[in-house]
Amino acid sequence: MLTVLIYGAVTSAIFAMLAVGFTLIFGVARILNLAHGTFYALGAYSAFALTTILKVPLLPAAILSVAFVALFGIVMERVLVRPLRNSALAVLMITLAVALTMQQVLFLVFGSQSKNVPAFINHPVTIHGVSVDGQRLVALSIAIVLIASLWLFIHRTRVGSAILAISQDAEAAQYMGIPSNRIFSLVMGLSAALAGAAGVIAAPFLTVRPTMDLVPMITAFSVVIVGGLGSIPGSILAALIIGYSETIVAFYWNPQWTGAISLIAVLLTLVLRPSGLMGKPISL
Amino acid sequence: MSALLEVEGLTKRFAGLVAVKEVSFTLAAGEITGILGPNGAGKTTLFNLLTGFLPSDRGAVNFDGRSILKERPHQIVNRGLARTFQLCRPFHGLSVRENVEIGCLAPRARQEGDWRRQASVILDEVGLAEKADQPVEVLPYGDLRRLEFARALATRPKLLLLDEPFAGLGAGEIGGIVHLIRRLHDKEGLSILIIEHRLREFMQLVKRVIAMDFGEIIAVGAPAQIVRHPRVIESYIGKNEAELGIA
Amino acid sequence: MRKRDWLGAGALVALLAALPLFLENRYFTGVFTVCAIDGIWAASWDFFSGLSGRENFGHALFIGGGAYAAAFMNGKFGFNPWWSIPVGIVVPAALSLVIGFPTLRLRGPYFALAMLAAAAIMQQFAVIFWQYTGGTEGIYGMSRLIDSSLGNYYFVLATLVATVAVLKAIAASRWGRILRAIKGDEGACEAAGINTTFYKIASLALSAGFAGLGGVLFAHYEQAVTPDDLDVFLSISVIIMVYVGGIGSIWGAACGGILLNLLLELLRGLGEYRLWVFYIILMLVLFFMRGGLVAPFWQRLQGSRA
Repeated sequence: MLTVLIYGAVTSAIFAMLAVGFTLIFGVARILNLAHGTFYALGAYSAFALTTILKVPLLPAAILSVAFVALFGIVMERVLVRPLRNSALAVLMITLAVALTMQQVLFLVFGSQSKNVPAFINHPVTIHGVSVDGQRLVALSIAIVLIASLWLFIHRTRVGSAILAISQDAEAAQYMGIPSNRIFSLVMGLSAALAGAAGVIAAPFLTVRPTMDLVPMITAFSVVIVGGLGSIPGSILAALIIGYSETIVAFYWNPQWTGAISLIAVLLTLVLRPSGLMGKPISL
Repeated sequence: MSALLEVEGLTKRFAGLVAVKEVSFTLAAGEITGILGPNGAGKTTLFNLLTGFLPSDRGAVNFDGRSILKERPHQIVNRGLARTFQLCRPFHGLSVRENVEIGCLAPRARQEGDWRRQASVILDEVGLAEKADQPVEVLPYGDLRRLEFARALATRPKLLLLDEPFAGLGAGEIGGIVHLIRRLHDKEGLSILIIEHRLREFMQLVKRVIAMDFGEIIAVGAPAQIVRHPRVIESYIGKNEAELGIA
Repeated sequence: MRKRDWLGAGALVALLAALPLFLENRYFTGVFTVCAIDGIWAASWDFFSGLSGRENFGHALFIGGGAYAAAFMNGKFGFNPWWSIPVGIVVPAALSLVIGFPTLRLRGPYFALAMLAAAAIMQQFAVIFWQYTGGTEGIYGMSRLIDSSLGNYYFVLATLVATVAVLKAIAASRWGRILRAIKGDEGACEAAGINTTFYKIASLALSAGFAGLGGVLFAHYEQAVTPDDLDVFLSISVIIMVYVGGIGSIWGAACGGILLNLLLELLRGLGEYRLWVFYIILMLVLFFMRGGLVAPFWQRLQGSRA
């Protein structure tokens, strides 16, 4: 029981990190980023390359990896996405192309075998008689700290209020003189950093492979749709629901069925409450 | 006279803000009525509620003796309640004729006979026959207004809701639209509900005005009474007095 | 359709029919068979997404749905291969209703995301439930629809021509007009008394049925199915084909499918790297030629003569 509680929390925290970034860039810039899973995969692979190949100590390697992914996100937004932003279809196509291209790059550079990324803590930790993998607890704490910092950043700083203003009414924000293009770059960087960080901290207990981007990306969509597109609290709530559902299904039934949870959750949400748990109502 | 449209206690909230509050009125068949109010008074929201584009929170709407509260927009149109939009919304990529034909393809309109011929008749009626084969992208704004009318008329409505039909038009074009509305009303007995925020156009068109502010009905009466109504005047102070046509 | 269009279409079909006779080579016949199947996939995508403007990012769900339906019917249960066709049309059409009904009522990106997710999750299932689906190996040992590879090619080509003809005819009818109006302004279309949800869902089901038919032909040609038939790469390839051909024209999309597949065959020597060519084409089309290549080129040709 306690095991499920802890493992569910870890899964939910990782989902939340992915979903918050995905919903943030959609809410602010209306960019549906199909390369969001790529950020996650890049985070994990950079951590692998830095620690295992270049022998950089883990902590600086982790920070460098996250910075690299953030930079990748900013460059992608600037070079590929921005010229196409007036067409939603073109944005979807280009980001999906980036995702598939990066899969190929990772495959060509690192091969298709799965890689191991070192953990911050290798030994198990015992909580109330339940032994838990230490890295999962580290991942949980880092996720909470990062999401909380993001929350504070958005609600307590000037830049944060500019982000909020754009997400509520982009046109009005532009009239008020908020430099929306710079904000888009910043938000894309934050979104990428968060997903990259999720990749770095989850990598030790995952299989790191070139195709690892797809499932987390789909889970991120699902969380975001269930929570309500563009709503950060909604994403967190939905991450908890889907994270725990998957953990419970995996523990008490069959881990193979976890993939179905997302799809069922999405379809149910769209039938019963299309705007998601905390999204704005959708009109015709 | 029997009521064509009965609205009772209609209410809509958006995140704490009451956009339409306990609105009740009736409209008799063959009547032409205006809804007046400054910008943000809830007029367009009211239209969106009546036409099924927004779900309401509370209240009742009966049209032609049946509740249309839970129906989707196309179902309401097929009961005979059509609308135009404040900003013209033509179908880009289609010609003027093809735009009107979409309305003629509504199940209600197709009972009237051949949809291609219907479209020609309506294009004639609104004065777009000569431009029928042009793409909508090249139409001047005044013609886009007429196209809004044509598409709504194509569905063979009993009641037509017009959302600021004069917005963005010059004086000459306004005269043409007023003429068109009057002809539809006089000749075909069409019932019409018009939203406007300027009273001037109403004075010559409607017999009765429903004035709204902050989502509520604040006065009902003949145009001449409404301009002198203290609450109506108050609602325009500091906003757009000139538009009321009394300042 | 003008006379010149009929002539152009006739000449193209005649060329496609004649080529394998001159080349007299099983390999080329096979290449052209796959080209024609790609044409069916692209045309079926374009019919729904090109006309209505609702982008389907998981067309592979329908293609793979048809292919796996064929594999179960013929490969697993041993039915006559011709049974695959009706079943391979109905199964994807049913899948399209499950996804389309909740998502197509809504505006916004829900449909695109749900299709992408559904195809990916089905692919995962195809791997996970290996006891039934053969896992990554897939299901093999299926029989061919027509044993002679040339005969099979002509059957596939005839199916492509029929697919394009049927979809093009519907697109030219009031049905297609309504889909184009939905692309223009869905709310205004509702205000014109059109049940847009019905038209969208019905058109998606039709699109899915034809995609599934293409999937059946592919499965019986390859005599096997694999989870690649559900892959996101297949979905995006189909979209690139349509883009190259010219979105919304249906026949242009079919030509795009044929062209792109020929190009991939020519680049076979590059191995894995040939996929990069795909992405480069995509970038070029997205950044410089939004209208596509084939259909605009034909129109330009017409314009210069007229």
